[in-house]
Amino acid sequence: MQGRQLLVKIRPPLNMLNPIVILQSIVSGLLMGGIFALFGVGFSLTWGVMKVINIAHAAFGIMASYIAYWGLTLYGIDPVLSLCLSLPLLFVTGLLIHRFLIQPITRSRDVVVASMILTFGLAIVLENIMLFAWSPDERLITTAYSSQVIFIGDIIIKVSNLIGFILSLMGILAIYLFLYRTCTGKAVRATWQDPEGAALQGINLRRVSMITFGIAIASAGAGGVAMAYMYSFNPPVHNLWLIFLFLVVIVGGVGSVIGSAIAGLMIGLITGLSGAFFPMQWVNVLLFGLLMGILLIKPEGLFKK
Amino acid sequence: MQKIIKSIVPVSFIFLLAFLPILQPPAYFLSFIFKVFLYIILAESWNLIGGFTGYLSFGHVAFFGIGVYTSAMLFQHFGLSPFIGAIPSGLLSSAAAWIIGYPCLKLRGPYFAVVTLCFVFIIDLVVKNWTFLGGSEGIHLKLLPMDIQLSRSIFYETFLGLAVASVLVARWVQHTKFGLGLASIREDEEVAQTLCIHTADLKIKAFILSAFIPGVAGGIYAYYISYIHPDIVFDINISILIVLMALFGGGGSWAGPLVGAVFLSIVNEFLSIFIRPEFARIIYGAMFIAVIIFMPDGIVTFFKKWMGIRKIQHSYTSPVDKEK
Repeated sequence: MQGRQLLVKIRPPLNMLNPIVILQSIVSGLLMGGIFALFGVGFSLTWGVMKVINIAHAAFGIMASYIAYWGLTLYGIDPVLSLCLSLPLLFVTGLLIHRFLIQPITRSRDVVVASMILTFGLAIVLENIMLFAWSPDERLITTAYSSQVIFIGDIIIKVSNLIGFILSLMGILAIYLFLYRTCTGKAVRATWQDPEGAALQGINLRRVSMITFGIAIASAGAGGVAMAYMYSFNPPVHNLWLIFLFLVVIVGGVGSVIGSAIAGLMIGLITGLSGAFFPMQWVNVLLFGLLMGILLIKPEGLFKK
Repeated sequence: MQKIIKSIVPVSFIFLLAFLPILQPPAYFLSFIFKVFLYIILAESWNLIGGFTGYLSFGHVAFFGIGVYTSAMLFQHFGLSPFIGAIPSGLLSSAAAWIIGYPCLKLRGPYFAVVTLCFVFIIDLVVKNWTFLGGSEGIHLKLLPMDIQLSRSIFYETFLGLAVASVLVARWVQHTKFGLGLASIREDEEVAQTLCIHTADLKIKAFILSAFIPGVAGGIYAYYISYIHPDIVFDINISILIVLMALFGGGGSWAGPLVGAVFLSIVNEFLSIFIRPEFARIIYGAMFIAVIIFMPDGIVTFFKKWMGIRKIQHSYTSPVDKEK
C-alpha cells in the first residue's frame, strides 16, 4: 500500500492545459496528417473510380520506402531524389498490375470483394518478397538533417517531418491539378461520378482506370517515403498503415481528393492531441473506435454533400 | 438406401481418423492434423456469415480469442476444466457477436469488412493493456497431468469431434429454410426484404452461430497452447487465412471451406518444411491471385463444373443462379 502511494507521488504531474504542449501537439499532428493524406489519396481514387479496394496499397508504399532507404545507405542519394526513380517504376508497375490482374476480375459478380481478396494475395506476395530480400529488421531513414530541428518560439519542428509534409502537399497538389486541369483528369472524374455515362460519352474506361491505378500506386510510393521520414518501417507494418488508409478514406469520403486531404489533417490532429492527453497505447484504440463510430453513423464520409 | 451407401465413405473415413491415435503416430503428426481440424472449424464457421450470407467478416479471430481468454480465466480463477469452460467461452463469444453484430450488420460490403477488422484491433489493444487479463505478458496455464502423447490424443479427438460437428452444422444450415434465407441475402438483400424475409433477424442469427463455434474451439485451444498471448490468439493473419481458405474452396457450400482448409494447410506445411517459409508465402499469395482470376467461385465449383457434374448445382446455388 505504501509503495503504491509512493509511486503516485513520484510520478511528475502532467500539465495538460499548458498552451505550449497543446500547440506543439497540434503542429506535429498536422505535419503527420498531411502525410496520411497523401498516403490515402490514391487508395481513395482506386476505390472511387474503379470500385477496387487495393489492400496492397500500403505494401507498395513500403516498397518505395525500401528503395529510398537503400538509395540512401548504399549510394547516399537523398530520399526525395530517389522518388525520381521509384515513382516512374511504381507507375509502370501499377499499369502492368491493372492490365494483368485487375482487368480479368472487373467482370466478376462482386468486384469489391474479388479485388479485396486478389490484392490481399498481392500484399502477401510483396510482403514476403521484401522479407526475403531485406529481412524483417526495423529500418529508419537517417539523413544528415534528420536530427535538426527548427524553433518557432517554443514550438519544435523536426526538419525531416517538415520535408515529408511539404512532399505530401506537393503530391496532393499534383494529383489535384491532374484531376481538375487536364483532359484525362476530367475523364477520371467523370468515370468516378458515373461509369456508364462516361462510357457513353466516348471515354475509354479501360484506359482511364489503368492510368488511375498507375497514379494511385505512384502516390502510394510518395506517401510511403513521406511516412518513412517519420516512422521506422519493416515489411509486415503495412497492415497497420492500411488501417490509417481506411480511416482517411472513410472520414473523407470515397474518391474525393479534397476530402482525403482534410481527413488526413483531421486524423493527424486527433492523433497529436490525444497523444498529449492520453497514454500513448490508448491512442490507437481511440482512432479505431473513431473509425467504427464514423462507419456506423455516417458510412458515406463526413464531407459528402 | 442410396443415402446409406453414400454416407459409408465419409463415416468410415471419420472412424479411421478417430482410431489414428491408437497407432501411436509421432506427436508432430498429431499436432499437424489438430491444426488442420482447427482451420476446418474456423473456416466452416466463418462460412456461415461470410460465404452463405456474403458479409465478409475479417474479425472472426476476435471470437476465437475471446473464447481462449474466457476459458483461460475460468481455469485460472475457478479451476474449471477447459473442456467444461468451452461452453461459457462459446456463449461469451456469441454475446460479443450479438453486441457487435446488431449495429454493424447494417453496413455492407467493404464497410462491414473494415468494421470487423477494427474490432479485432481494438480487442487486441484492450487485452494487451489490461493487466487483469495478463496484459502483454500473457497467461501461463498448467499442463495436463499426463504425458504428451496422451494429451495430444485427447485434444486430437476433441477437435475431430468439433470439426465434424461444424461441418454438419454448415451442411444442416445450407439445406434448411434458414440457409435459403441467407442465400437470398447474399444474392440481393433488397429483393429479399420485399419478399418478407427478415434479413436483419437472419443475419444476426447467422453471425451469432458463426461466433459460437470458434468460441468453443478457442476455449479448448487455450489449454492446448497453455501459454496465451494477445499476439498469438488475436493474430489478424489467422482471420485473413480463414477467409482465404473458405473462398479458396468456394464460399457458397459446406464443402468449400473443408476442401480449402485441408488443401491449404497441407500445402502451407509442405512448402514451409521443404522450402523457405518466405517462398512458401509467396507461392501462397500467388495461389490466391490465380484462384480469384481463374476460378472465382472456388475450386470445388470449378472442379465440379470441369468434371461435368451438373447435378450438384441445385444443392447449393440459389434459385436466382439456377435460371441463368
